Amino acid sequence: MALQKSMLVARADLKMAMKVSMVKYGLILIAAFGPVMLIATVLLIALTAPTVAAATLAMIDPLLSPMVGIIAIIPASLISANALVGEREQNTLEPLLCTPLTDRELLLGKLLSSFIPSIALLLGSILITEVSTIFILVSVGSEIVLVPGLSSLFLLLTTGPTLILAMVSVMILISGRVKRVYEAYQTSGATVMLFIIPMLLPMISMDTSGNVDMNLVWFSNFITLLIAILLAIVTWALAIGRFNRDKMVSM
Amino acid sequence: MDEVIISGLTKRFDDLTAVDHIELTVPEGSIYGLLGPNGAGKSTTIRLLCTLLRPNEGTAKVGGYDIIESPVQVREITGVLPEEGNHTLYQTMSAYENLEYFGNLYGIPRDELPTRIEELLTFMDLWERKDDPAGELSTGNRQRLALCRALLHRPKILLLDEPTSALDPVAAKRVRELILSLAEKYKQTFFINSHNLAEVQRMCDRIAIIDEGQILLSGATQELRSRLQASQNFRIRVVDDLENTLSISKAMNFVKSAEREADSILVTIDDPLKNNTTLMQALISKGIHIIEFAEEEATLEDLYLDVIKGGVK
Repeated sequence: MALQKSMLVARADLKMAMKVSMVKYGLILIAAFGPVMLIATVLLIALTAPTVAAATLAMIDPLLSPMVGIIAIIPASLISANALVGEREQNTLEPLLCTPLTDRELLLGKLLSSFIPSIALLLGSILITEVSTIFILVSVGSEIVLVPGLSSLFLLLTTGPTLILAMVSVMILISGRVKRVYEAYQTSGATVMLFIIPMLLPMISMDTSGNVDMNLVWFSNFITLLIAILLAIVTWALAIGRFNRDKMVSM
Repeated sequence: MDEVIISGLTKRFDDLTAVDHIELTVPEGSIYGLLGPNGAGKSTTIRLLCTLLRPNEGTAKVGGYDIIESPVQVREITGVLPEEGNHTLYQTMSAYENLEYFGNLYGIPRDELPTRIEELLTFMDLWERKDDPAGELSTGNRQRLALCRALLHRPKILLLDEPTSALDPVAAKRVRELILSLAEKYKQTFFINSHNLAEVQRMCDRIAIIDEGQILLSGATQELRSRLQASQNFRIRVVDDLENTLSISKAMNFVKSAEREADSILVTIDDPLKNNTTLMQALISKGIHIIEFAEEEATLEDLYLDVIKGGVK
């Protein structure tokens, strides 16, 4: 029942956001930045060195692919920045808070309304990148490798959503404490920078000669996932614990 | 039975005490008006009752539920029209979608919701506009739609904050008529904030006057109006010599006040049953030709101004 009510909030928010073309296409454009960069890199390598393209891509994949995850965090931060302060600016916060929704149901609804499109954009980005990579490599007659590769896929499909969850939680917390949407957007920029740091961890797996130690890649992937889980738990607990109707209405 | 029982309710915002230890009871099925000037604490009181704000001291029971201990239950049984309700709709959603969304949030059964929405929109003359985005409706229509939203889940208690503010006189009259017909049809309890005295006088059977966060006076509307009978206003029209009439009136020790208003004089007389004839005789004896010596109906405005100015406690 609780999830059902949260889904109602999420669905209404999504429906309203999707009615605005600028929002819809703006988010897609931002998310497309990751796959476009990755596909361009694959294309460049495939065209300049088709015989060693597969090996080169396999080697640099752990450094390149997290880019898709990093970019996918940005739309999540933008949607969630609007979550509560957007309602206040539209004057719809009070009627919403007057409904029998509990704090948890409302916050979960707001979290889902940012999380669902962000995950859709992340999965779409991964799929487009994989399909494009295979198409490019087949076209130049190169051996086929996955970009994102297996280790990167693990990172993107586990740490990616977890970090998005953490990012959304912290942005909802901020959104309930600022007076204007633009303040939330400004804060979201700084917060994104903080949340992409874990995604950069796989870079430590490259040694001085430019080789990548796959054991180290997997190790850093697990460490990154643990950090992301910890961040998600702490930020969600903070979002729930610090949610204050009185403060939001009094502002 | 009392639907709303407020005891010692206090709300402070930093150094400002918006609501200061107020005590009120609202009987079931009544239309209760909370009157007061801007900044008196009316909206804060409603926000406390619908659990948007948490009191610093005291509490209130709404429909038997404590606003601090059972906020979700309070929200289930109350319908709220916030201040400037016409601005509180989702502008891009249609009128129907606005109601559908809130109907679902209030847990109205899915098979029942379309019927309720149709019934309310028809009742408010909005059915033909059901597919229009709320942002494209007129102010009056948006206010009625916001009222529909407050009524949709058939709450026991309606908390309406300035329901006719920002409306033109025709739309305001329409909303007042709607409230009265709803009260008659569904037997709900209404708690209405207003600074519009005429509106409260027309609609409410009980009122309280609040200023600077404190309840200055409360009771049944009729009972409060009867308090004014101790002194009464009379309007005097004469053939000519209005100035002389004014000075004769002012010279009488039982005349509390006498003021010229256009082509007449308005006098307030103590113990009117005894003294109005004395004044009339005094004027006639001085050669004043009286056209009209009419009793002015006591209004809440007189009481309100008296209370706010500190005349009645």
